[in-house]
Amino acid sequence: MNSCQVLSRENLTHLLDSVDTFLFDCDGVIWKGDNLIDGVSETLDFLRSKGKKLVFVTNNSLKSRAQYALKFHFLGISVSPDEIFSSSFAAAMYLKLYNFPPQNKVYVIGGDGILEELRLAGFNAFGGPADANKTVDLKQNIFFEHDKSVGAVVVGIDPNINYYKLQYGTLCIRENPGCLFIATNRDAVGHMTAWQEWPGSISDSIISHSGISAGCMVAAMCGSTQKEPIVVGKPSTFMMDFLLQKFNVSCSKMCMVGDRLDTDILFGQNAGCKTLLVLSGCTTQSALQDPSNNIHPDFYTSKISDMLDLLEA
Amino acid sequence: MLRIESVLTTRAVVTALPQTHKSNNSTLWFQSVPRSYKLCRNPLLLNNSKRKASYSSSNSSRMTSFTTRAAVQPLKNADELIDSVETFIFDCDGVIWKGDKLIEGVPETLDMLRSKVGKRLVFVTNNSTKSRKQYGKKFETLGLDVSEEEIFASSFAAAAYLKSIDFPKDKKVYVIGEDGILKELELAGFQYLGGPEDGDKKIELKPGFLMEHDHDVGAVVVGFDRYFNYYKIQYGTLCIRENPGCLFIATNRDAVTHLTDAQEWAGGGSMVGALGGSTQREPLVVGKPSTFMMDYLANKFGIAKSQICMVGDRLDTDILFGQNGGCKTLLVLSGVTSLETLQSPNNSIQPDFYTNKISDFLSLKAAAV
Repeated sequence: MNSCQVLSRENLTHLLDSVDTFLFDCDGVIWKGDNLIDGVSETLDFLRSKGKKLVFVTNNSLKSRAQYALKFHFLGISVSPDEIFSSSFAAAMYLKLYNFPPQNKVYVIGGDGILEELRLAGFNAFGGPADANKTVDLKQNIFFEHDKSVGAVVVGIDPNINYYKLQYGTLCIRENPGCLFIATNRDAVGHMTAWQEWPGSISDSIISHSGISAGCMVAAMCGSTQKEPIVVGKPSTFMMDFLLQKFNVSCSKMCMVGDRLDTDILFGQNAGCKTLLVLSGCTTQSALQDPSNNIHPDFYTSKISDMLDLLEA
Repeated sequence: MLRIESVLTTRAVVTALPQTHKSNNSTLWFQSVPRSYKLCRNPLLLNNSKRKASYSSSNSSRMTSFTTRAAVQPLKNADELIDSVETFIFDCDGVIWKGDKLIEGVPETLDMLRSKVGKRLVFVTNNSTKSRKQYGKKFETLGLDVSEEEIFASSFAAAAYLKSIDFPKDKKVYVIGEDGILKELELAGFQYLGGPEDGDKKIELKPGFLMEHDHDVGAVVVGFDRYFNYYKIQYGTLCIRENPGCLFIATNRDAVTHLTDAQEWAGGGSMVGALGGSTQREPLVVGKPSTFMMDYLANKFGIAKSQICMVGDRLDTDILFGQNGGCKTLLVLSGVTSLETLQSPNNSIQPDFYTNKISDFLSLKAAAV
């Protein structure tokens, strides 16, 4: 049964009355690549003027919160790092919450964002981009060393993934007793590349390619360790529990706005809050309405600035 | 757990291969998403019901239980086993050699089996880095008299599979793997792209970057790849997701492998896992424990599977392979599996027999006289 409603003036008014906090995904909702989506700035201003709290939740672990705040700033939107929850930050918070001993090290298969957040939280993290050019020369007498004091391996999207990193992470997880295997997220594909339009093409359609995401780096590690990771990003409830507690907000007065059914919308549903799907990202209307889709948001609309258009009408 | 509801099925048409009698469970325990792959009674799919139960978390401390199960017997009557079969299939790493060193007593044992009692010998390895020809050289260097036709590496299996389904010669194969696969594809007359040289290719995750890929790629073959990188994963993913009917073939899914004598190395299971994660699809596995290679050689040599004994050192590949194929199984302890692991309550894969190393065939025979 498809209970998903298209956003209208009526249900939007009701939504605005019943919700105090809006959670926004970033890629495909706020921006696409490095371009701000139309009308985002005005919409966020409007919501703030109505006294709504705004929180930005992204699975993209390449940047730290501070780096994301800078991105918002360049796009002309005023957002404080405290309002941003990147999966890089979630990994660091997970370790903090579970009292990860500071004398244990953390090996990172991922970008600078993860390293920065871990170090900010006081952990001894290494790996990341520094291992980008390391190769493994499989000569007969070679012995691959790894640090026995690594107590956690954090895996996120890594443009510099290579065999050295996979082997390093594998040995840590398989051989260091109690070593944690943490994944920032498991998105299969992401949208690292901007939508590309082919002018003058017959159907004038938008052609794009999905870029592979953290999901495949994590799956590579699952393949060699035969273990399941602890997932800290959407749709895992860890991130939700953390921010509910941090902001002292109640699920029932929250609305999650995102462009992906299997991360954003599922994330909101798992927590029991309202969900709004926007079609400005990777999900099309036909994908939403396809019979094989079982994830139904409460509402859907083409982009967040529809909120302004609907109320103006 | 993440659940992705959309299911992709490939549109490959497989010509009939000798069918196995085992039913196939296509859900791998370490995949959070159940996927269906429609290819009726596909002998290429992993039988994972046993794989799942055999390994607990690899970090848990070894359970030293003294109440062992009596299920598997140490080999005592070698003659009886030898007389009951016509063919021996040997795994290589941990059975014949360890790294580049021959295991003690192997040449004499193989000689005895071949010459004295006229058994057929076949060598089946999941290692896809070399071609059969290159393995033939390795055997020769170690002083063993083994011909290329007796060797079945998973690199060969991938090419043989494509041949068996009449993969069109005008289609291309994208390879995420090493030289062995490329050589076998070339021998079989298939066009390929990728392999080790894509190891130098880099991508830039900048907005506006769009990767081009060849629309004639009709299959992506994935195996162990020490030159693995983002470019290859992205390329393979685009082919599988966007080229209609593109096959996703895995040489093997071994989690770790003994590339050197001294330690474990992340294996093909890692590379295959990555592509599975990005495409949300299950691969067709041609290596052990899938029975493709067993069916192929049984067919090729005209042998009944009940007349085969599989000898290997790994429970979840070699022994499961033998069991899936319906033949006898002998585990040797000269490789990665210890007696403790075999007898652990966490292990549910029970070979018919176990022994220390294959030269026990000789010592047990001598003792029986």
